[in-house]
Amino acid sequence: MHPVQKHLFDTNFQDLEGTRIEGTIALSDELINLGIMDFLSGLKSTPTPPASKKNSTAPAAAPDPKALLAKLDIEVLQVSAKEGKILLNIKAGI
Amino acid sequence: MPDLPPPLQTLLNNPQAHLEGTDVRIDLSLGRTLLNEVLAARPADTPVEELFLDPENDNTVNLHLEVKAPVIGLVKRRITFRPGGPVVFPSQPWLHLEITDGFRFMDKPIIKLMQGQIAEKLPRGIELTSDHLRLHVPALLTAAGYQKLVPMIKHLQLHSEANCLVIELHLVA
Repeated sequence: MHPVQKHLFDTNFQDLEGTRIEGTIALSDELINLGIMDFLSGLKSTPTPPASKKNSTAPAAAPDPKALLAKLDIEVLQVSAKEGKILLNIKAGI
Repeated sequence: MPDLPPPLQTLLNNPQAHLEGTDVRIDLSLGRTLLNEVLAARPADTPVEELFLDPENDNTVNLHLEVKAPVIGLVKRRITFRPGGPVVFPSQPWLHLEITDGFRFMDKPIIKLMQGQIAEKLPRGIELTSDHLRLHVPALLTAAGYQKLVPMIKHLQLHSEANCLVIELHLVA
């Protein structure tokens, strides 16, 4: 893993605090479907950690989704579909 | 370019097609620790011994630099930059950073004397004089393999706050 990516994961994106995003993100259906396939293959290939390692203090390979969501301040999030696209209307910050 | 997840690679191959209809403004706030992690991840085979950034709340950024120079040995400087006006595509592709402080007595004449050699050593798209640092954003994105993102960037500007550097972006596809 790239050291910068590792730093972001280890600190739960703390160094991006103050980041804001506002507007419309349009994603093609092809991209959405590729994302779903990639997510599913990631689930299949991720081994279940042994019970004895659950309390390990080693840094997580990926950020804790709960901790990450707790950092998000979402004012607007609307999803709609239009002619082969998914439109995401968003106003949010970290 | 490193191996990317298939959706991201597909997006980068043709961002205009996969993001058509996008109109989004992003203020990306990069904390001091993160900026210095990025600088620490530089290639090992450079003469730069120490390099770190210290953004201030008056829209200036201090660059602490320690370089092994031929003949004169180790050179330490704290150079202060002030980000200039916005990059607006396609009419104004340069990101301009004015050097407001940090050079010592003989630095500026030496830089002026060696201007040609400095230009030859720097990557395409980076221009350093005794007064400013300029980055040609399309050239740098092209060199990094992201040239297809260039037409999407309608506005790009830097400003600094205490301990963070903010990149203001307006992306349209």
